[in-house]
Formats: sequence, C-alpha cells, structure tokens
Amino acid sequence: MTTFRLLPAGAAGLLLLAFGPGLPLVFPVLLLAVLLVLGELWLRALAAETMPALARLGLATAAGLVSLPFTAIALHAAGVRIEAWSITAGLGVMLLVVTVVVLVRERTGTVADDPRLARTALAIAVPGVLTLVVGIAAVQLYARMPHPPEPGYTSLALNGWAGDITGPVRIPAGGLMLPLRVSSAGSPAAVEPLRVRVGERLVSARPLRISANTTRALEVFVPSPPPDGCLHRIEVSLGATSTVLYGRGAGAGHNSAAGRVAGAGPGAKAGSGTAVARGTKAGSGTAVTRGTTVRSGVAGGRGAVSGRGVGGRGVGAC
Amino acid sequence: MTLVLARSEERTRPAPAPARSRPELWCAASLTAAGAAGAALLVAANRAAEWDRGTQFGLFWLGLLVFTLPAVCWAVRRSTSPRLRVAVLAGYAGFTFLPKLLRNPFGPLYHDEFAHWRQSKEILLDGRLFEQNPIVKVVGDFPGLHSTVASVSALTGVSIWHAALLVLAAAHVLVVLGVTVLAEEIWQDGRIAAVSAIIYSLNSSFLFFDTQFGYESLAIALLVWTLVALHRAMRGPARRSRAGWAAVTVMLCGATIATHHLTAIALIAVMIIICLVVTVRAVRRGTPVAVPMTAWALTLAAAALVVAWLALVAPRTTGYLDPYLARALDQIAGMAGEGGGGGRTLFRASVAPWWEQAAAFGAQGLAAVAMAAAALRLRRGHGTEPVARSGALAMLLLGSFYFPAALLILTPSGAEGARRSWAFSYLGIALVVAPLVVALLDRPARRAGKATAAGLLLVVCAVALVGNTAAGMNPSYRFPGPPVFGSDTRSSIPEVRAASAWLRATQGRELRIVADRYSGLIFGSYGGQNPVTGSVTFPTYELYLTQPGRPAPRQLLQQLSAWRFGYLIVDKRMAREVPEIQIYFETNEPVPHDGRPAFTLGQLTKFDRTPWTIKIYDSGNIAIYRFDFARAGR
Repeated sequence: MTTFRLLPAGAAGLLLLAFGPGLPLVFPVLLLAVLLVLGELWLRALAAETMPALARLGLATAAGLVSLPFTAIALHAAGVRIEAWSITAGLGVMLLVVTVVVLVRERTGTVADDPRLARTALAIAVPGVLTLVVGIAAVQLYARMPHPPEPGYTSLALNGWAGDITGPVRIPAGGLMLPLRVSSAGSPAAVEPLRVRVGERLVSARPLRISANTTRALEVFVPSPPPDGCLHRIEVSLGATSTVLYGRGAGAGHNSAAGRVAGAGPGAKAGSGTAVARGTKAGSGTAVTRGTTVRSGVAGGRGAVSGRGVGGRGVGAC
Repeated sequence: MTLVLARSEERTRPAPAPARSRPELWCAASLTAAGAAGAALLVAANRAAEWDRGTQFGLFWLGLLVFTLPAVCWAVRRSTSPRLRVAVLAGYAGFTFLPKLLRNPFGPLYHDEFAHWRQSKEILLDGRLFEQNPIVKVVGDFPGLHSTVASVSALTGVSIWHAALLVLAAAHVLVVLGVTVLAEEIWQDGRIAAVSAIIYSLNSSFLFFDTQFGYESLAIALLVWTLVALHRAMRGPARRSRAGWAAVTVMLCGATIATHHLTAIALIAVMIIICLVVTVRAVRRGTPVAVPMTAWALTLAAAALVVAWLALVAPRTTGYLDPYLARALDQIAGMAGEGGGGGRTLFRASVAPWWEQAAAFGAQGLAAVAMAAAALRLRRGHGTEPVARSGALAMLLLGSFYFPAALLILTPSGAEGARRSWAFSYLGIALVVAPLVVALLDRPARRAGKATAAGLLLVVCAVALVGNTAAGMNPSYRFPGPPVFGSDTRSSIPEVRAASAWLRATQGRELRIVADRYSGLIFGSYGGQNPVTGSVTFPTYELYLTQPGRPAPRQLLQQLSAWRFGYLIVDKRMAREVPEIQIYFETNEPVPHDGRPAFTLGQLTKFDRTPWTIKIYDSGNIAIYRFDFARAGR
C-alpha cells in the first residue's frame, strides 16, 4: 500500500476511535489496524528497505505498540492530561509527522510492495482468531461452572457522622444514638448479641437478627458517661465483631478539641434518656434502627442506662 | 455449444486436492481440535484445583501437551511451508497464553499485577504518568506498560483489565515470533527458527510470569525485537541502511527502558556480549569493521539512554534493586561459610507432585547437556557470514549465564532475580541448541529412526517444560484453590475486598494506611489507598509487634503523624496462621518464622484498648482503625 493511502487509512481509523460509538469487539481490532499502519510508517521512515514478511509485521506491530507510550510520555511532558482525546490527537500528530518523513524519504525511491505480507498477516490472523474463540469459550465455560463458595463474613462499622469521628466524642447528657452499619455476605442468617459497653460496664444487650447477604443501617443508644473529664471507652459489639470509640460526658469536654459533639448528625437530638435520629422516634427501652423500631426485652434504654452512673469505670486517662 | 465449452473447462480445471494433500486445512483442523481439547483439560485442571481433588497437575500438563506436542510436530516438520510454520507458531503462542488467562480471567491476582493494574487505572483517573505506586514503589517510574494499557482502554472503551489482556496477548505472540525472526537472522533457516521459538517457550517464565500484567511481559517482547533490529543494523550493506536500522534499534531500546528496568539492563548486557564477540572476531578474522562499529555505537547509545533514564527519571531504581543483589551475595557467602546458613531448600513445603520436582532438577541437567553439545557443534563451525556467526557465539555466551543463576536460586533474596534472569539467558540456550535439535531430527536415515528421534526430543521438551515451569512458579500462583493466608494469590477473600470497598466508599481514596502485605495489596489496588507495609527505615510492623500493655514506639508514632497516616489495618489471621510464603510484611521483617504464628491475638487486638486508635470497622478477621495521634502522647 502506498504511503498516500496509509495516511488516510490511519487517520480514518483514529477518527473512528475518537468519535465512533465504543464497540468492545470492533474497536480493539480497529486500534490494532491503526497501530499497524503507524508501525509500517515508522519502518518506512526509518528503515526503508525490503525485509522478510514476518520481520516486517513484527517490527511494525512493535513500533505501532510503542507509539502509545511515546505519545503518553510526550503528552505528560507537555503538561497535557492523558485521556482519550489527547491520546488520539497525539497519535494523529505522530501519524502526520512520520508520514511527512516517509514522503521526504521516498523522493529518492520507494520500496516495492511485498505480496507475501498480506498472506503472512493472514497466516497470523487465522490462528489468532481461532485461539481467541477457543480462549473465550474456555473462559466462559469456566466462569459459568459452579465454584466452591467463598468464606462469608459479617461486618460492623461506624456509620454516618460516627464514621468520620477523629477523636473523643462529647456525649450529651441524654446520651446519643450511634449510627452503625451491619453487612453480611456469604454467611447464613443468624442472630447475634448486640452489646454496648461504656468503660467495662455493659449498658445494653439484645439479640439482633442478621439476614444473609444484606446491608442495613441501625442505631444504638449510648448513654452519657459522667461529666468527670475522663476519657471513656465505648464499645459496640455484634457477635465477634466490634467498634470502639472514646467519649466524654457532657460539660466535661472543654479540652477535647479533637472530638466533636456527638449526636450532631442529621436529625439527631438528645432527649431524656434517648436520642432520635432521622425522624424516627424512640421511646425508652428501645433501640432504633433506620425506619424500624426494634423492641427488645434486653435493649439498652433507661433501664440499662440509669443506676449508678454511666461509664464510671471507663478506661479514660483519668 | 455453451454446454460443451463448460464441460471442456471442467475437464481442464484441476480437481480440488483431497484434504490430506492440503496441509494447511489438515493442520488447522487438527490443531483447532487439539486446542479445544487442551483448553477443556485446562479448565478441568482449574476445577480440580479449586475443589481440591488433587488431579490438577496431571490434567494441566495433559491439557498443555495435547496441543503443544502436535503443534511442535507441525512447526518442525521438514515439509511444512514457511507460512504454515508461522501460522502454527502464532497458534502456539496464543494457546500458551491460555493457562494464565484461565488462572485469573477477570482481574489482577499476582502480587505485581495489583501494582500495575492500579498504576494503569490511576492514569485514566488522574491523567498523569510517573505517580508513585504504593505496592511496588518503582513501578510508576517505568510507564511503558501502564500508558499503553491506559491508552488502549481509553481509545477502545474496554476495561483496564481487558485492555491489559489485549496488550499482554499481543506481547506474548510478539515474543514467540520475535525469537523466530531473530533465529532466522542468525541461522537463515526456517525450521531452526521455529525450533528456537519452541525451545525458548520452555523457559520457567514463559507460561505464567511473562504473561502476567507486569512490565516485564511487554519489555521482553521489546528486547527480542530490539535484538532483531540490532542484527539488521550490523548486517546493513550500506551506511544509509545501517543508519535506518540503528534508528529502529534506538527507538525500541528507548521503549524498553521506559517499560522495565531489569529488561533494559539485560538488553544492555546482551548488546555488550554481542559487541565483545563481534570485536574479537573482527580482530582475529578481519571481518568488516563496520559490524563492531555499528554494534558499539548502538550499545553506547542504548546504555546512555538507560543511564539517563535511571539517573534523571527513575533515581529510586538503584536503591530498589541494590538490596536484593547485596543480600543474595551475603547469603551465598553465608552458605559457603562454616554454618552453611543463609540458604533455602528448594520445593520446601511445596505441594507440587514428585514428578514435577524431579523434572525441575532434570530440566537443569538437560539444559547443561544440550548447551555442551551445542557448544561442541558450534566449535566445528557454522557458515562464514560474520554477523550470523558472531550472533551464534554471543548467544552461546548468553546461554551460559543460565547456570550461575542456579547458585542464586539457593538463596532467599537471590531466587527471584535468578528466576527472572532465566527468561533472558534461555534466549541464548534456545538459539544455540535449535540447530542441534534439527540436526538430530535429520540424522537418522530411516523413517523409524526419525520417528524415534522425534519422539525422544518431544519427551525431552515435555520434561523441560514441566520442570522449568515447576521451578519458576509455585502451585498457588498456577492453580486456584481454597483461601490460604499469606499467599499472594489466595489470601484475597471477599472479607478483605469488602473492607477495602467500605473504606474507599466512606473515607475516599489515596488515604495513607498502615497494613500487612496481603491487606496492603487489596487496599492499595481495589481500594485505591496508599498502604505502607514497613521497611527498615519506616518499621511500621513494630506497631503490630508491640506487646499489649507496652507503649508503641514513640518515634514511629511521630513519624506516622508527621506523614499524615490516617488508618491502620489489622488482619487477625496473623495470630492464627503462618503465611504460606513466610512473609507478613516484607522480606526482611524482624518477625520470627519458626512454623508458628508470629503474633498473639493480644498483640493484634490491643488496638481495641489504645485511646489513639478508633475502631471504625470490623469483620472478624479484618479491623480498620483510625489514628488519633493527639491521644497518643497522653
């Protein structure tokens, strides 16, 4: 193929890549064709001589392929962001420049077309397509066969504003609702104990049903530790998993700048012994999940919170 | 009248040849059937491995050999046409890409793959090159592969992983065809060239390591084609021709250095060997001076490129590679010393069957015998063409470097480097042993003798392929299977992936986190975070090693705080299991390896009671803590 034909062929391919609808099976082939054109032009520009067909095809492919990193490095050096349009433009400029060099070089004579080239390309393309078909079929077959189940898990995480805390939380006098996220995957449905501890003291415990392969948000009530200025360890556990944060009682946290006033999440406010979050009311003796009121005989609430004071035996640095 | 003419044409037109006399069709049909059967057996091997049936090794090799042996026969047959030979070799290259493709068709799995996958993805996300990679720190300085993959993904719309598969498959085919062309440059014989490509494919990296999403997979193809261009430059009949090929050589060499450090260094080493051989021959035999002049000029240009890149673009590379070599030499010295310490036992605790292990040792012996015979044959002389003769001698020298690497394989730090060097030195072995193989095939006068020779050589090839692959890649990299803690390929359980996804979704990406090696891989790739797994100068593993009730190292906490590390990942499996590859954090970690877990559960759960760590996530094995350094000093 003459250089005058290679240039528009390469340019047309690039334009299609840039503006055409992305077709997953067609575009890789099109890109390969564009790179082969570019590689062939590199060979004509640099080593304008006849060579064995296989060597020509291999070198053209290699030269075409390395045009991509060269373009990317040039874009980076020029301070241009690397993305589809800039790579296309870069390849277009490269195509044009290399073609000009070839045309200048061809003024002293052109290299005759090699009729073996197309047949050798076909000799590589046919097994390539056959291997692709066999490979894709094997991968699809493998993917669709049943595989051993992967180990399941249940996770517990601080959620919402609680997920962003960076230090001790200042807990209002009425306590707060702590948002949590419980996720289960690959494990059967189970009932696990949901416990809240302030310091070493268990302040609430109730069973929580965890459905298989679900993620849900819930909130647990955390009573206020005494306003003694101490740092109190607050642990919420669900079965073998737990989250741990640290808090101070209301009115004691003047020196807890790293923390934040808890319960400042959307809709949350402290009430008498309970907190209400996201428009869901909770009465005493209840723990609240988003949109659902869960009643439980052992749920943390006033009964669990009241008494000798909360978190009196906290692990704080007092 | 028309009817008469038509019948007359029918009589004169040659009748279509029967299928047997059309070797192309016969070859395509037989190899397609063999390929399909082989692929089915490879799938069966993977299933046997994941269901732990224990038959995976046999099924795997049966699947591989059911295609490769007939393909080798077609490629090496005397009567096979050059074009059919090329087609068979292309098919051979395609089929040998399948084992790795089937190992992880949908995403990264090997240690380095996570680093390269992340690096390519970051280019598309941020539009920049040369960003530091947290998993393999020098990867970002060699953007050849990542920019190619990112460009293919951006231009075609396929995912990063699929773009990588396309580039890697193309590179794999380029390696096979490149070795063929290089051998043809040297030996001027299509059969010898085909045998060279087949022998090269027996090397330990060919099936799995050099098909992974890693920079060497592309770089090795560029190295081979650079050598092709170099040979054509040396052979150029006129100054203009030499200059043209020299430009192609420099271009490909530049691409190699932009892709992978070790391959670029290996390329310079091979070029220096070629230069030395052609110079000695020019002095002793009076061959044209243009040949060594061209070789030296190009080698100096390539070396200048490599040095410039390493000094200006990738200055961290020397510091990254140095310790491996230094430690390997120390360990060799240790082995030679009185105690004999510092070494490693080959196949220790390996689940590879005895015959694979035996083949691994046998393959080394076969290579040694083949090289010795090839050297003797080469000594008797081969043609008079100076470049071809020099090329053959240079490849003999290159191949001989295969054997000293066996010494390094006995050391923990040198083993990896030794295995990687084999992909280069096997090129020398392939190119000098190939003519010997063809001579052995042609030697028997009778048909039965030829068949026996061919059968024996196929058996030798099979032993070398099995043995080298077993020596180069451990079974957990080759086969799927139940989760194994401390395996780069099998410790990625859904729980770890879910934790990394949660952190990214709730806290964002590019967070600085402290982690162990295996969590770090997942959080650093899928999670898009910047994990650190510890080093001598930044011993983050001391956080984990600190006994419960003891204060964490103050200097380390100050360092973590100053560098704005925000999160700590704890994998409690470290207290229950011993990592399969005997590494918790990094190769030189000060952690005892005595066959028992190096940590107690108390060491790993102590962060539940330290006021400077807020436990924000827990899934049983994996816990995520946020640092609150303001609380650390109180």
